[in-house]
Amino acid sequence: MKALPMRDDKNLISKVLVLDSSSECRKQIRAFCETQNLQALKVLEENLLSVLRSNVDLGGIMIAEDLGGKPQDGIRLGEQIHKIRPELPLFLRRENLQGTDDLSEAQKATFTGVYTIDQIHTLQAAIETTIFSLVYPPQLVRGIAEMTQTSLQSQFKGLTVQIDTPYIVRDRLIFGEIFTLIPIESDWCRGYMTLQAEEAPLLTLVKANKTHIAPVEGDDFRNLNGILGEITNLIWGAFKNRYSAFKAVQAHLAQVPIVINHMHRYISFGSENPQLCFKCTLSDSDNPALPPLVIYQRFVFNLNWSPEDFHENDQSLDSLVASGELELF
Amino acid sequence: MAQILVVDDSSTVRNEVGDFLKKNGLDVTFGVDGRDGLAKLKADPAIKLIICDVNMPNMDGLTMAEKVRGELGNSAVHIVMLTTENSPAMKERGKAAGIKGWIVKPFNGDAVLGSFKKLIGV
Repeated sequence: MKALPMRDDKNLISKVLVLDSSSECRKQIRAFCETQNLQALKVLEENLLSVLRSNVDLGGIMIAEDLGGKPQDGIRLGEQIHKIRPELPLFLRRENLQGTDDLSEAQKATFTGVYTIDQIHTLQAAIETTIFSLVYPPQLVRGIAEMTQTSLQSQFKGLTVQIDTPYIVRDRLIFGEIFTLIPIESDWCRGYMTLQAEEAPLLTLVKANKTHIAPVEGDDFRNLNGILGEITNLIWGAFKNRYSAFKAVQAHLAQVPIVINHMHRYISFGSENPQLCFKCTLSDSDNPALPPLVIYQRFVFNLNWSPEDFHENDQSLDSLVASGELELF
Repeated sequence: MAQILVVDDSSTVRNEVGDFLKKNGLDVTFGVDGRDGLAKLKADPAIKLIICDVNMPNMDGLTMAEKVRGELGNSAVHIVMLTTENSPAMKERGKAAGIKGWIVKPFNGDAVLGSFKKLIGV
């Protein structure tokens, strides 16, 4: 296989499902993915639907046309996947160099990229335009991870906070039952931050007295909402103080509707842009029986993304007082 | 009768700050937004210190501070903001409203307890 250069911005990865019966091809696909900052996840065809339902953090899917042994089986499966997860780019591996001339128009529209295993490097451009199409400054990605870690640690007592390598997702599925949404606005970006979590493990942490909510108050779901709400507030404030200029954003700015389909647990911000995702896992190393709490944090810069204007605030650094300390006037 | 009024729309913050102050022997009451905070202050003349968030529904904390000094004519109560906000413009507005200090969240009780006690004279 032709050697490919590593991506420049090595700070981000993305996850792709690999549906391929050939172990030799899977090996080559995995090697290619590593060069593209893609994490290849193998899935058996019979588990596909449950994986698609449960995985909320995918960047795309690589599928073989002869999946299952028969020609066209993979193409048909790809069409089905495209119907239920149209936001995920599908990359089709073909046996021979025949392009897409033999495919119907609907089938052509289903697949973002088509390749043979010998020419897998030709997918690089499609991956760049569909998965890694937005550039995220490494200082921004690092900074978000830091402020998220600090905010989470302040709201949970004695828990370990682990934040996975940040990654890019294209799916639009909602995770869990508690969902917060807050606008992120500055002179170089506009969009939203969301936090998403399951209620049951959060309730367990409240009952175990690991939060600032009294264990007896955990039965009121609004208190669980409040925990995620306050974490959202803390991160939003830290983001604003660090990355937004301390000046008003222009008034009367454009907005687009945000659409949530509860039946499909699907949220659309009106943009096809991929999202920046952080998976945070909170666990108690002293009590492994306590189920970990997973929080997905996503950034959707759907209204403005101008990373060339990205900057960290330094105007107030001299006068900044450390968080939590009283600045007397 | 309480010494300290904590005003924050987040029940998590009210619990966190309130529990810490109570554990340290202080009497605390709560407001859920600026409007509620004003009502609580009017109802309890013993309050000597208000710890107040900025971003809240119905009435924000800086507007509340301005009304404490203006509408209520209460210049005696100390007001400290506890907020994620850290912009110089907001702090200037707070100073103009006569607030005593500014704390950037997250809350660190140990770092501020001594100052709080000094403000309320205990």
